[in-house]
Amino acid sequence: MIWVLVGVGIVVLGLAVIALNRRRTPDGVATFQRQIDALSPEARRPVVQRLEDAGRGEPRRDDGTEAPDAGEARGKDDLDGA
Amino acid sequence: MARDLAIDLGTANTLVYMKGRGIVLNEPSVIALNRQTGEVLATGHEAWQMIGRTPGYIVAVRPLRGGAITDFEITERMIRLLLQRVGVSRFTRPKVVICVPSAITEVERRAVTDAARRAGAADANLIEQPMAAAIGADLPIDEPVGNMVIDIGGGTSETAVISLGGIVALEAVRIGSFDIDAAIQNYVRREHGIAIGERTAEEIKKEIGSADPTGDDRQAEVRGRDLMTGLPKTVVLSPEEIRFAIEDVVSSIVASVIRCLAKAPPELSQDFLVRGMYLVGGGGLLRGLRERIERETKVPVRQSTAALEAVVLGAGHVIEHYEALKGMFMGARR
Repeated sequence: MIWVLVGVGIVVLGLAVIALNRRRTPDGVATFQRQIDALSPEARRPVVQRLEDAGRGEPRRDDGTEAPDAGEARGKDDLDGA
Repeated sequence: MARDLAIDLGTANTLVYMKGRGIVLNEPSVIALNRQTGEVLATGHEAWQMIGRTPGYIVAVRPLRGGAITDFEITERMIRLLLQRVGVSRFTRPKVVICVPSAITEVERRAVTDAARRAGAADANLIEQPMAAAIGADLPIDEPVGNMVIDIGGGTSETAVISLGGIVALEAVRIGSFDIDAAIQNYVRREHGIAIGERTAEEIKKEIGSADPTGDDRQAEVRGRDLMTGLPKTVVLSPEEIRFAIEDVVSSIVASVIRCLAKAPPELSQDFLVRGMYLVGGGGLLRGLRERIERETKVPVRQSTAALEAVVLGAGHVIEHYEALKGMFMGARR
């Protein structure tokens, strides 16, 4: 009986080590793909859009949580040169 | 809960992008201090107005030179004040991404991250300015094609070739638009015998400065202090004179672009002829610079539509997609 328990323990420990290793080693392909996807023009659109909205004096496209502080946000028309 | 921030900590201007909100602050990187008490009297636009016009007990300084911190304590105070102004308190500590020149040393990197952490950031990561500029200028850097970005700032000029989300070739020099201003100051002192301040030199640059003949013959009337008599004096400067005065600085910038082109792999080099190079940064707004680079490299040069904001927009995009893009931070790729 004791040997069965020891055997089960070893198997569980082995599986745990494998699972931990998998978690520690990042999947290179998935990470790279996620990075490339995040750099796509579609993903960048909202950031660029915010600047264009600020330049036109339109309200910012927020997630609906807060209104922008008047006078703090500046569009490209208000910016100084170098 | 604080909103995460992206900061373009430039030699000339500091811009702050807040996650989900956009650019919330854009001010000159200047701080005015009481020399006796060390108390901060003004920052940003207000402090910039004071440059060269302060009484003895006030000092208005730019704590960054050549993209690097020259005065750690003052920079930390400036960052702390900036963070306070965008709503960061000791109870709300955001993650911060800071854009820095790619050529800064390990010590300088640590100085920037330490300054940000001590100023109230929960975590501070750095991203290279040309990479941030390419993201912010909306270049297709996610594709396997050569994208070339030329970022000319106040203290540094960086040219990078970027493909598939990474820097392929890079050339950086610690020369920027402040060196153009200094060249104008030196020229006026040497040739006309009058002393002018850095703000006047900057105004001359904006008024009649150019890197290549533009066909505009407008002259500028400049007032300064006669070095011989000590009296106020007015001189008239022509665009040719200013072009001559800044020639060395402009040549160095163009030479660094050429060096970067030479470093690019041939497969990507051919892309530049079709896609062109993108000019960003305040220094890139110098009249005739785009044409001058184009003439000397025989590669089309395009001005980014968001030349002044490209870097902070790029860093802002990184903060919006923090988990996916954290591999792009300086040090993360080692």
